Amino acid sequence: MDKQKAKETLLGGLLKNNPTFVLVLGTCPTIAMTTSLSQAFAMGIATTFVLIFSNLFVSLLRNVIPDKVRIPCYIVIISTFVIIVQMVMRRYLPDLYSTMQAFIALIVVNCIILARAESFASCNKPLYSMLDGVSMGLGFTAALCLIGIVREFFAGGAFAGIKIPGFPAMEGVGASAFGFIVFGCLMALFNFVIQKVNEKKERMKKQVLPLSDGKVGTMKEAA
Amino acid sequence: MDKAKIRSMLRCVIVLAVIALCSGLLLGAFNILTYVDPLQSTYERFAADTGAKFSKMTDDTGKTYGDGSVVYYAVSDDGVYHAFLAEGKGGYGGSVQLYAYVKDGKIDKIVVGENSETFLNKLEEADFYSNFTGKEIASLSVLDTDAVSGATKSSTAVKNAVNAVVEYYKESVGGENNG
Repeated sequence: MDKQKAKETLLGGLLKNNPTFVLVLGTCPTIAMTTSLSQAFAMGIATTFVLIFSNLFVSLLRNVIPDKVRIPCYIVIISTFVIIVQMVMRRYLPDLYSTMQAFIALIVVNCIILARAESFASCNKPLYSMLDGVSMGLGFTAALCLIGIVREFFAGGAFAGIKIPGFPAMEGVGASAFGFIVFGCLMALFNFVIQKVNEKKERMKKQVLPLSDGKVGTMKEAA
Repeated sequence: MDKAKIRSMLRCVIVLAVIALCSGLLLGAFNILTYVDPLQSTYERFAADTGAKFSKMTDDTGKTYGDGSVVYYAVSDDGVYHAFLAEGKGGYGGSVQLYAYVKDGKIDKIVVGENSETFLNKLEEADFYSNFTGKEIASLSVLDTDAVSGATKSSTAVKNAVNAVVEYYKESVGGENNG
């Protein structure tokens, strides 16, 4: 296993290719399921589970599935894992399931999952595909949680369901329109930070340092 | 006819069929693992929502009201709570399951169960259920309640379910108590 590729795959979904803030995929659940942190977290974990296993099976079957029927095959695989998530939630988390039921079923058509199956899992080995599922899923979960924290704080004056004393709830802020505003602001902030970090890395690479032989060179040459 | 083309088509069909079959088998196995007896899960739900014990369904065949909303009924073992499981028709995504608990002739609590509505959270945000909770059943006029803007169909399904509970109570339970 190529460690560098594994590392890049694992970090890609969290930062450089974050499905929510960079690739702007899965916007529907991002807006609908981020009114509270608990719902955002549950949606993220459910999507992560489906992503990991659908990526694994698409990758395992990539040489068997004919090109012409690849999309129906991916949909069957994805929907199988979505139904499994539904069955498990229905059995063990009935309260959460009753509030999220409609959106859990819609994971089948979540474009993050189909996009990763088509663009990554169908042309990579199973282990990398699973890593990609973990990375994309965690990136999606983190983004949903971040938006959920901000929306719950302003709309409900609470954090993770716990009321913050002295902070008034602003009811209108719970609407989807505010969700889009929060989403946009966080997306801008995320991309700004990533850009600044990349610029700093580039500067560091180009920085001229004295070398041991008395000459000067870049960080890479010094190393 | 081109044999290669037929072979390619057959391969597509077989692969898709095998994947669908394996998927069905996997789901069947999970269904066995996660299956819950619906009656038992209803008792558990009643008990969790009220803190009282329920050991049998008073009416497990159900009664149908209005446009098809169905109500099932149970009394807690101590006789304090009258628990109803209602399925309200007319929602955007189908029917809305609702658990309603009546204590001393008043609706004590309403809990939303399984549904396929995407705007039900708007009802909670608008405090829609407070139109019914804490109110005397005898004086409730459920269908006149204003729907929540932006979730009209979901509001209708919930109103139909609550109305069916009220009708059931007035018809079968309230009468018994009065008598």
